[in-house]
Amino acid sequence: MAAANDDEILEGFLCPICKADLKSASQLTNHFESLHSEEQDVLRSLKDIFGKAKKIILNTEDTELRETFDRALKFSYTDYYNEEQSIGVSRSSSDYFKGVRSARLERYATETNKLLIRLDKLVCNMPNDHSQRKQHEQEVVPWLDGSSVKLCPNCARTFNLTRRKHHCRLCGSLLCHDCSLFLDINVARSIVDPSAPQTSSHLDHDATEKTGLRLCEHCYNLIELRKEVQESRNAKTALVTAYEQMRSLMDQAKPAVSMYEKMCQSLFDGETTYNLSDVNALRGRIGKLAEGIDVLSKKIATFPADPGTRQARLQNSIRQAAAHFIKEDLLSLPKLPTEAQIEEVRRQRYERAERQIQMERRRMERERERHDELAGPSARERENTTNDHDDDNPLLEQMNIIRGYIKDAREGMRFEEVAILEANLKELKKEYHLQKLSSKP
Amino acid sequence: MNVIQAVKMYITKMTEESGPGMKVILMDKETTSIVSMVYSQSEILQKEVYLFERIDAPSNRDHLKHLKCIVFLRPTSVNIALLSKELRNPKYGVYFIYFSNVVSKADVKTLAECDEQETVREVQEVFADYLAVDRHLFSFNIVGCLHGRLWNQQHLQRCAQGLLALLLSLKRRAAVRYEAASEPCARLAERVRDLLRREAVLMDNNIPFNGDIPTPQLLIIDRRDDPVTPLLNQWTYQAMVHELLTIKNNRVSLAHLPDVHKDFKEVVLASEQDEFYAKNLYSNFGEIGQTMKTLMDEFQKKAKSHQKVESIADMKNFVETYPLFKKMSGTVTKHVTVVGELSSCVSKHNLLEVSELEQEISCQSDHSKHLQRLKSLISNDAVRHQDAAKLVALYALRYEKHASNALPSLVDALKARGAPEPLARGVVEVLEYGGAHARQSDLFGLQDAVKITKRLFKGLNGVENIYTQHTPLLKDTIEDLIKGKLRENLYPTLGGDDGYGRRPQDIIVFIVGGATYEEALCVHTINQAYPGVRVVLGGTTIHNSASFFQEVTSALQGVHRTHTRHIRNV
Repeated sequence: MAAANDDEILEGFLCPICKADLKSASQLTNHFESLHSEEQDVLRSLKDIFGKAKKIILNTEDTELRETFDRALKFSYTDYYNEEQSIGVSRSSSDYFKGVRSARLERYATETNKLLIRLDKLVCNMPNDHSQRKQHEQEVVPWLDGSSVKLCPNCARTFNLTRRKHHCRLCGSLLCHDCSLFLDINVARSIVDPSAPQTSSHLDHDATEKTGLRLCEHCYNLIELRKEVQESRNAKTALVTAYEQMRSLMDQAKPAVSMYEKMCQSLFDGETTYNLSDVNALRGRIGKLAEGIDVLSKKIATFPADPGTRQARLQNSIRQAAAHFIKEDLLSLPKLPTEAQIEEVRRQRYERAERQIQMERRRMERERERHDELAGPSARERENTTNDHDDDNPLLEQMNIIRGYIKDAREGMRFEEVAILEANLKELKKEYHLQKLSSKP
Repeated sequence: MNVIQAVKMYITKMTEESGPGMKVILMDKETTSIVSMVYSQSEILQKEVYLFERIDAPSNRDHLKHLKCIVFLRPTSVNIALLSKELRNPKYGVYFIYFSNVVSKADVKTLAECDEQETVREVQEVFADYLAVDRHLFSFNIVGCLHGRLWNQQHLQRCAQGLLALLLSLKRRAAVRYEAASEPCARLAERVRDLLRREAVLMDNNIPFNGDIPTPQLLIIDRRDDPVTPLLNQWTYQAMVHELLTIKNNRVSLAHLPDVHKDFKEVVLASEQDEFYAKNLYSNFGEIGQTMKTLMDEFQKKAKSHQKVESIADMKNFVETYPLFKKMSGTVTKHVTVVGELSSCVSKHNLLEVSELEQEISCQSDHSKHLQRLKSLISNDAVRHQDAAKLVALYALRYEKHASNALPSLVDALKARGAPEPLARGVVEVLEYGGAHARQSDLFGLQDAVKITKRLFKGLNGVENIYTQHTPLLKDTIEDLIKGKLRENLYPTLGGDDGYGRRPQDIIVFIVGGATYEEALCVHTINQAYPGVRVVLGGTTIHNSASFFQEVTSALQGVHRTHTRHIRNV
């Protein structure tokens, strides 16, 4: 039925139920949805027809190419697989996992905390003098009495003149020099107070007895683990910052593109909601966004990274994804109609509307005549009373206010708002028109 | 019941649950294939997934703490061990772990104990544990599932788990039916039932009972019931590409061709991403040629119009239509390359003549004529050895019980033309694998009176297309099932028939020993012909004739021939 009705629909937007001519596709759909909501499947077929009609009006290069592509493929792939399908079953074990993990980590956590408190005391008030330092360390952590210990508890070798007894500064246990590990004091400071400025010059060489704290392997590992967790929390590099900027541009671009498509469509439909200049401005803005994304992604791709590493691959992928996004989503915007085309579409629309109004008027007059004959002069008198105060009509005032708003919104490129306001304005105009019609004899 | 959609939704869920930010996905060999079947590289890049890593790759120690890691693995013990190692020394900031099947509590505990840096945010099971080849077709990529006529235990487990995952991903609670004459089918059916029972709670909580529709059915059948289909040359696009060029995970390698463009060394043929392919994968070769020609003409016209770019307006116009033009011309060039290669194969190896005889042997009955033509093709040098062997194998199956069966002399003829020894042996093995003793169905329609008369009429009227006479046995089986006529004694239901699934609407057919693209087409046609009925086909793999010979060889490894002992010359 769609094909048969195409011409008629294009002639005027007739409602198939009450035969009233609505001025545009959207109005007809609205009218239909509000008044004939019970006939929903007719509505669907109506929408199909509009889809087709739009395609015919919008006979641009792209759709033409696509149609030839479609036409060349005679096999039609029916949509019998496109039933509603919800995502399959899944099951989460996260709670169990976290339960096991926290039970286990609690043990470490108390111990790590104890060590951290000691570390804090050690580094905060550490005297510069070497002999005082030893005393200070022993005050914070009581050292184990090593008189009866003959072997290093870690490597089980005997202590003697060359292999002397040492103490872990955090737990006070005994160990030999070979088994000791050293934690740089500056690093220790940054662990205790993450806000302290980190001096990175010493990171190149390992800490020694002079510059570091002697620790046993166990304590060292716990502290090291703590350090890694802390670092991964604060790992925000230039790459991440640039990437986040790029994503935020992309997030802005997406709604702009869908808005642009809507506006473009509206122009082709001959609606007067948006101006060509509006759409061009938005197009310019999308172009700007695309440029920004392009620059940022190029910057990401050129961050220093050794070729072949994951870092390099990551940066390349980001650039590739951005390029793809720009190409597919931002540069393949539909073409705008020319002024002349818009004029033409609008003129046709206007003529249709004129015809419609004429018809309406004639119908009204006929009805009125009938009405008058029935009701007599009393009805006419009542109508006349509303006629007098037209100049200070609140509707006119409202319309002016809204026009002001539209201007503001347009300047601020808030096109969603423009659309809503335009719709309001149209309604007011209609209302005003009706009022006039009914008040004038 | 769209399997591609089902897997895709799981992957999308994974990429979205981790929130915005740069992501890396860590997979094993199998899950890499699973993902690559449904998502193209550029699609997944748009989901902020920028790196693809393999868990079994030798790890280098560059840390990328600003990355979120999506882990998608099969829950094997090897993977658990590798993942434990990864979690002890995490390379990435946070981890979201997804297993493609049921994972044991003990394994989760092991992992939790390794996560000392508290990097894990999620641990989940999602059931994307099969390769979604097409909307109605899945596979496990296992060639040689049987070993010495019995299941390879590892493969049995893999298939059972995969089928469980399939049911969970499609949210269907199915009754399990299997081919009674086949031992492997029975084993698999039992294993699937056991897994279903173990996960009964999961099923009950997530899949609502629906009393209004008949119980969906999972039907497990054996390749040995129809050894003919994988031996035939096909003339539909997808099947033909697989037979002549081999499709592996939706990818076709063209690297062996001389002067092939570097973009087409390996081409992707996926119906989800390639509109042309989606519309033509079931068209026959002649139609494709026609379509190609029309398209080429169109493009030449377009390309010409683009050449005269004179004014600024022309240029603007060109730039605006260029991306679409380029995209489509890329697609078309790809298919022209593939179709060109197919057509050169066809003419070089006399495939039209070969195929005609193949079809006649499998669908008609004229021993002396077939034997004579077979002999003349064997002596034709243009015919490839494997095509000759396929023809002899078809002859062996078709005329197994014929009084003047000439199989030994044909095998000799094969050897005489220089066919390699494994190929000649393969012919006899096919007979041993899928001869009359192994089949429960009436494959050639020799017993059923209706079928015999049908064939007679067909012979009288002449056939429409001599290259597409054959329809796979699967068609009859599924149609019987839809009509509720599939016999309970031949295809019993595990746990007894409750009579409720008599006319099922949702059907999953799984072929032990591999499915073929011809059968996929057949299922596609059934889906269209029976509104309301949805059939999904799966197999241990998707066969072409070469992989089928491998399957047969593996299935007969280490066992003595019992039904073909009389053929002594191999």
